Amino acid sequence: MASMSVWRRLDFAQPAAAALLAVLGVMTIYSANADWTRQVAWIVLGVAAYLAAASLDYRRLLPLAPVMYGGMVFLLVAVHLVGRTALGARRWLSVGGFPLEPSELSKLLLVVMLAAFLGRQSSLSWRRFGIVLALAAPPAALILTQPDLGTTIVFAAILLGMLFLGGGRPAQLASLAIAALVTIPALPYLLHGYQRRRLEIFLNPSSDPLGAGYNLLQARIAVGAGGFFGQGFLHGLQGQLGFVPERATDFVFAIFAEQFGLLGSLLLLAIFGTLLVRLLKTAAVAPDRFGELIAGGVFVMLFVQVVENVGMNIGVLPIAGIPLPLISYGGSATITTLAALGLAQSVVLRRRLVVHQPPATYPEVFDPSAVRLSG
Amino acid sequence: MIEHDRWLTLAGAVPKPRWSFRLVAIGCLAVTALGALSIKLAQLQVTEGASLAALARANSVHRVVLEADRGVIYDRHGVPLVENAPAWTLEVVPEAMPPTTPARAAEVSELSTLTGVPLERLTAAIQGADPYGSLRIGPSLTEEQELAISERMPALPGVSIARHAVRTYLYPTILGHVLGYVGPIDPSQARKLSSRGYQPDELVGKVGVEAGLESRLRGVDGWADVVVDARGQVVRTLATRAPVPGDAVFLSIDLKLELATAAALAAGLQRDHKTAGASVVVDPRSGEVLAMVSIPGYDTNLFTHGISQADYAKLTSDPNLPLLNRAIAGQYAPGSTFKMVTAVAGLQEGKITPETMLSCPSYLSYGGWVYHNWASYSLGSMNLARALAVSCDTFFYQVAAQLGDITLARYARAFGFGSAMGLEMPGVQPGLVPDRIWKELTCGVPDLNSDACRWTLGDTVTFGIGQSALLTTPLNQAVYVAAIANGGNVLQPTLVHEIRDASGHTVLAQKTVVVDHVPVSAFNLGAVREGMREEINRPYNLNYWFRAAGVPADGGGKTGTAQWGGSGLDLPTHAWFVFFAPFAKPDVAMSIFVERGELSEVEAAPIAVQVMRYFNANRQAIQAA
Repeated sequence: MASMSVWRRLDFAQPAAAALLAVLGVMTIYSANADWTRQVAWIVLGVAAYLAAASLDYRRLLPLAPVMYGGMVFLLVAVHLVGRTALGARRWLSVGGFPLEPSELSKLLLVVMLAAFLGRQSSLSWRRFGIVLALAAPPAALILTQPDLGTTIVFAAILLGMLFLGGGRPAQLASLAIAALVTIPALPYLLHGYQRRRLEIFLNPSSDPLGAGYNLLQARIAVGAGGFFGQGFLHGLQGQLGFVPERATDFVFAIFAEQFGLLGSLLLLAIFGTLLVRLLKTAAVAPDRFGELIAGGVFVMLFVQVVENVGMNIGVLPIAGIPLPLISYGGSATITTLAALGLAQSVVLRRRLVVHQPPATYPEVFDPSAVRLSG
Repeated sequence: MIEHDRWLTLAGAVPKPRWSFRLVAIGCLAVTALGALSIKLAQLQVTEGASLAALARANSVHRVVLEADRGVIYDRHGVPLVENAPAWTLEVVPEAMPPTTPARAAEVSELSTLTGVPLERLTAAIQGADPYGSLRIGPSLTEEQELAISERMPALPGVSIARHAVRTYLYPTILGHVLGYVGPIDPSQARKLSSRGYQPDELVGKVGVEAGLESRLRGVDGWADVVVDARGQVVRTLATRAPVPGDAVFLSIDLKLELATAAALAAGLQRDHKTAGASVVVDPRSGEVLAMVSIPGYDTNLFTHGISQADYAKLTSDPNLPLLNRAIAGQYAPGSTFKMVTAVAGLQEGKITPETMLSCPSYLSYGGWVYHNWASYSLGSMNLARALAVSCDTFFYQVAAQLGDITLARYARAFGFGSAMGLEMPGVQPGLVPDRIWKELTCGVPDLNSDACRWTLGDTVTFGIGQSALLTTPLNQAVYVAAIANGGNVLQPTLVHEIRDASGHTVLAQKTVVVDHVPVSAFNLGAVREGMREEINRPYNLNYWFRAAGVPADGGGKTGTAQWGGSGLDLPTHAWFVFFAPFAKPDVAMSIFVERGELSEVEAAPIAVQVMRYFNANRQAIQAA
């Protein structure tokens, strides 16, 4: 009885959308001549993480939040101390021979930590607002100085989004927005050389068509060359011939769009949209504020990454190294995303139930068939 | 679990999802953002799709030029004079090189070390090049360089070694002035010729026949449309058009006669301690140039392999001007070799007859100035033939004075003086025929009555013996003596015997073109030729050289020792000899020029005799079809 009940409670649309994305991701990575078998391995590990997170009662994480926060800071400090350096950034820890990117994992840890903190009260005093900022600042600084601008942006977006969902006052949100507006003009001075260059090139892509602006232009060309129906799977000139850089990671969307065209791209966005709507609904049906904020945080985390990644691929947002969830090649990101979705599923499984027809008298024995899924 | 849910249900928990305002707001934000991305995507993929797809093709589909083999140049009997030797050069696709500045700089500096091309030149070339095109770097590689680069190739992205043909001249110095050489096209020329498919790094004929017959020799490049990946590696070929090799050019030059002429000229110059000279041998029946030599020559192979600064500086600063093709571009006064023109004019205009006896004093005065004969004593009275044979200047002063400069100039021009001969190579100089109009036009003084502008009788009489401002070239002289030999036809000189296309069909065969016929009767011309025969048969003089060499003095010749470098008595001279043979039916005519020669009978004439010795011994081989 119990297992059947679990089966009926499951949000099927959410894992179905995630599975579809993972399949499209492996196909695109294969077309980009990257190591698709490794990506399949990451997905298998990610599915395990999903199942583990879904079967775990998320509420058990509540007391663990401080421990998770400590673990996150520990990992990020470890990256700075013993991390591997590649492409001018120190981002990877070698764990049992596998490269682990703690900044990816820290996105989810931040979601859980903020949900735990903000979920305790329905409104946010200025004092607690200050504590949230003070808690978020050290990991954000550690990520920014790796340097990893992309993940820092996602970090900031999760913070802002969860403060909004978690009852932040308009004045608090406005003060954060103003702080951001003040920081942006200062960015050129705060950024690492290549990051500053990326920003300049975003503002004027043709200024350096063969240097740093190359990526942006080639990605745009690839997306445009896809046309309405696309060049066909494995028939993208730009992607197959290697003109698009980072084509399995940052610019994977351009490769996808070249092969599958507008039709495929809109379908991909629709799948992401479905996933996001399911997460939002998960937040709406969550039995408590902790669950609601976990679902909302995962929503913000994925939403920001999709918008920024697609936006930079089509040249409407500056380039920042942010993966397209479940599509881009990468173990840490894939496993983190699937674990986050599993956690949201855990919230769904523990949601409130709606009584189909309130019985006039309560039966002696509870009849599960009278219970209907709310979704 | 069920117990828990039951508890909730029993407690009357909220029956619906709670859509808080903030959840709805953030949902709307997501819908808006994804909608905006969709609109932008539609714009990019549908509105701009076609143009961006074209850019994608331009990225990856490249047209590779397949170079046509340059036409081979042969002598008149089909002996090759050049070959297209295989060579290797370095090619770089800048786009495929490392994108970061330090890595690229390191690669460029390594290439500089491997090829010996200066770093600044290499950097500039790569920066200025089409990033997706392949740039050819520097001269051909030596075998060691080729090996060294091949070994390092895996560590040098964007670098490849291309095999191509290098023009190699088999007789680089002797035939250098005739064939010329190929070299990198000038940027301005490349722009002008780009419509005809010339590439900016193309090698074109720079001088000589290589330049004159460039359009024939070049052929038509083919192409291949290839798909390349981002590293510049060819993935597959879409379409090709095979190149059409350039035409095979059979020169009118006889290689062995050319070598013999060069040897005779070189030996003659060396014997008399002279450093420069030229000779042109033509067939007076057709106008074909059988041999053309200008000494000193230079090694044209230096140029095709990319000449070094030092070698080039050595050539340009050499006082003997080895780069000057004296045969076509050296302009000198003809001196006494011009006297046949004065003789023809005098006879034809009725001023003298072949039997008219004129004195040959040691000097004559015209306009208060004294004009000397070469002899300081009187040679007595003589007829025309004798005057030609002993080359009496004062005899021809008298004839020229009667003719006047305008008539003399008319005859000179009829013989081809003063006109560039339209040979199949650039740089042919016309020489100069002076007269009073020329002097007024070029004196450069506004007052036409000044000495500088006024033509004097002295100018006329010196003009009559091939001095004054008169200038000619060895080629001009050969055409002139050929006209005397063939009865008065000034023939278009030509270096081309035949041109065949790549499939062996004759596309151009030499045709004799009569440019001008000198208005002279056979009788009068015969009298002049008689004088030329008499000159080479003078005992103890020219006849000695013929007898010594065992060559019959059957023909006609005229020496000339021309003063140059201003006016005065002891001026430096050039030595000339013009000659045709045999007397009755001439089939060879030639001019010999010895720069700074002092005595034409001793310095120039023996060279012609040596050429004739070879010619007589090999007449049939030379004239074989």
